[in-house]
Amino acid sequence: MTVGSRVVVIDNGGGLLKAGFGGDNDPIAVVPNCMAKPPGGNANSKKWLVADQLQAEDVDVTGMTLKRPIDRGYLINTEVQKEVWERVLRNLLQVEPTSSSLLLVEPLFNPPALQHATDELVFEEFGFNSLCVADGPSLVHLYEASRQPMLFRAQCSLVVDCGFSFTHASPVLQNFTLNYGVRRMDLGGKALTNYLKELVSYRSLNVMDETLLIDDAKEKLCFVSLDVPGDLHLARLSFKDNPFRCSYILPDGITYKKGFVKDMNEALRYRSLALDEEAKRKEHSMDINKSEDRKKPELSQNEFVLTNERFLVPEMFFHPIDLGINQAGLAECIVRAVQACHPYLQPVLFESIILTGGSTLFPRFTERLERELRPLVPDNYKVKITRQEDPILGVWRGGSILASTPDYESMCITKSEYEEMGSARCRRRFFH
Amino acid sequence: MDGEEENVGPFRRTSARTRRMATRMASALASSDNRAQAALARLEALESDNAGVEVVDLNDDEYGSTDEEDPVLMQKKQSKIMKRKTRQGKALEKRAARSFMDVLQEANLESLPPHVPSYLRAAVGPPSTSSRRHYCSVCGSSANYAYDGVAKW
Repeated sequence: MTVGSRVVVIDNGGGLLKAGFGGDNDPIAVVPNCMAKPPGGNANSKKWLVADQLQAEDVDVTGMTLKRPIDRGYLINTEVQKEVWERVLRNLLQVEPTSSSLLLVEPLFNPPALQHATDELVFEEFGFNSLCVADGPSLVHLYEASRQPMLFRAQCSLVVDCGFSFTHASPVLQNFTLNYGVRRMDLGGKALTNYLKELVSYRSLNVMDETLLIDDAKEKLCFVSLDVPGDLHLARLSFKDNPFRCSYILPDGITYKKGFVKDMNEALRYRSLALDEEAKRKEHSMDINKSEDRKKPELSQNEFVLTNERFLVPEMFFHPIDLGINQAGLAECIVRAVQACHPYLQPVLFESIILTGGSTLFPRFTERLERELRPLVPDNYKVKITRQEDPILGVWRGGSILASTPDYESMCITKSEYEEMGSARCRRRFFH
Repeated sequence: MDGEEENVGPFRRTSARTRRMATRMASALASSDNRAQAALARLEALESDNAGVEVVDLNDDEYGSTDEEDPVLMQKKQSKIMKRKTRQGKALEKRAARSFMDVLQEANLESLPPHVPSYLRAAVGPPSTSSRRHYCSVCGSSANYAYDGVAKW
C-alpha cells in the first residue's frame, strides 16, 4: 500500500451510514443517512440538516421532513447522497477523496442503471482514486470467520441481515455469496417504525410525521415476545399489574429537546417474568405489590403509553401475514434460502447462521427465531444461531478487514480504467 | 406484493408512469370495497419515507427579505416564481420522482433466462400457510370475531 493513501470504507445503509478507514476497528462516523429540515413554512425556510447534525444535543427532531437518498435499499438519489458524503468525508473523516481509495458496500442485485449512477458519483463527483464494491453478507462472513476460525471450519455460513429497508438471508461459501440462494423479505426497520407510528397514531397521539422520534421509542422499548397469546393476556391487565406498560415522552422544544422514556425501570419490568408458563401463572398473583407509587401522567407533556405494541411490532418479522403482507416470515425465509443450495451444504448452513443488522437488536430475537426455526428443520440437522456482537457495525468491520488484505489493490477499479472502459465493463470485475 | 403486473410480456416496454398508474388502478378495481382499499393504502404507507412536500425550494436563495416593502414588486416576482416553479419544478420532479420501482421496471428483469438470479427471483414469496392471527385494532389483543364498526386488519 502506498504511503499516504488510505482506504475509505463506507457501508451505505438505508438508515445509518457507517464510514471510516480500512484497518480500523470501528468506523469514525455512524450517522443517519438522510437530510432533514425542521418544519417551517415561511419564506426563508431553514437549512437542511445533514447526517450527524441531526444527532446534536440541541436539535429537536419533531416534525422534520426527511430526504433519503436510498429507496428500498438501493441508492436512487445521488444528489442527496452527495451532500451526505460531502459532510461525512470533509467534516467527520477529514479525508481528501482524490488521494484515497473507496471500498463501498452495496446491496445485492443492484440494477445496472443504479450501478452506473454510483460509479459516476464516486469517480466524477468526488474523484476517488479507485473503487471496490463489496456486498454485505460476504463481509460479515469474513469478519466472523476471522474472529472465530474454529466455528467456521466449513467456510460457509448463512448470513441473515435484518436492515432498515429489507431483510436478506444469504448463503455464503468461501467468501462468495451464492446469489441464487439469496432470499429477501421487504420488511425492515423502516416498516417496523411505520407500523409503530400507525399503532400509536390510531390509539393515542398522532405521530405520523415523527419518524425519528418513533425510531428512538422503538429502539428503547420494543422487544420480541416468546409467547404472544400469553403476553397479550398479561398486557390487558390494569396499571400496576401490567408488566409491559410504559410511557414515552415527546420533546416540547423548551425543556426537553429529545424524546425519552418516562421511567426505564418500569419499562424493564417484563424481564423479570419467568419464561415458562407455570411460573408465570404463580407470579401473576404476586404482582400486586410490585410497583411503587404510580407516577401520574404529567399534563404539560405529550406522552403516549405503550403496552402490547412493544412486542406486536417486532412480531411483524415472524408473521407478516398477520398484517396482511403476503410474505413468508423470517424462519421460512431462512429455510427457503438454505433449500436453494446444494443438499450437502444444507446441514452446514443450518449450523452456522449469523444474525446481523440493526433490527436484530431487539431483546430475545435470537431465542424466538430458534423456536420458530426448529420445527421447520429436519430432526437430524443441528440449528445454531449466533448474533454478531455489534450487528450495526458488523458489515463495516468486515469491509475494514477486506481493505487491509494485501491483494485489495488488485480488486479495485482505478479511475483511469473507468474513464477508458466505462462503467459496465468495469463492473464485470465484481461478481454481482 | 408489487411485483406482478397483468399486462406485461417480456418484450413490451411501456413507459414507467403508465405502468405505475395501471397497477394501482388494477388493484383498486379488483377490490371494490372500502376495506380492501384501506388495507392496500395501509400497506403502501408502511413503505413511506416521511418525505414531505418540496415546492418551497425556489423561494430560498434569491428572494430574501428585501422585497417585503414593495407589494407590487412582490407580486411581479411572485408571478416569475410561479413560472419558474413550473419549469424548474417539472425538471426537479422528473429527476426526483424516479423511485426504485421505476428503475426496476426499466431494468426489464423478466426477460432474463430463468437460471439467472435477479432482484425479482430473490423475493421470498408468499407464506406456506395463509392462516393469520387477527388482532383488534383498538387495543391490540386477539380479535375473536369481526365487528363491522371496527376495522380489523
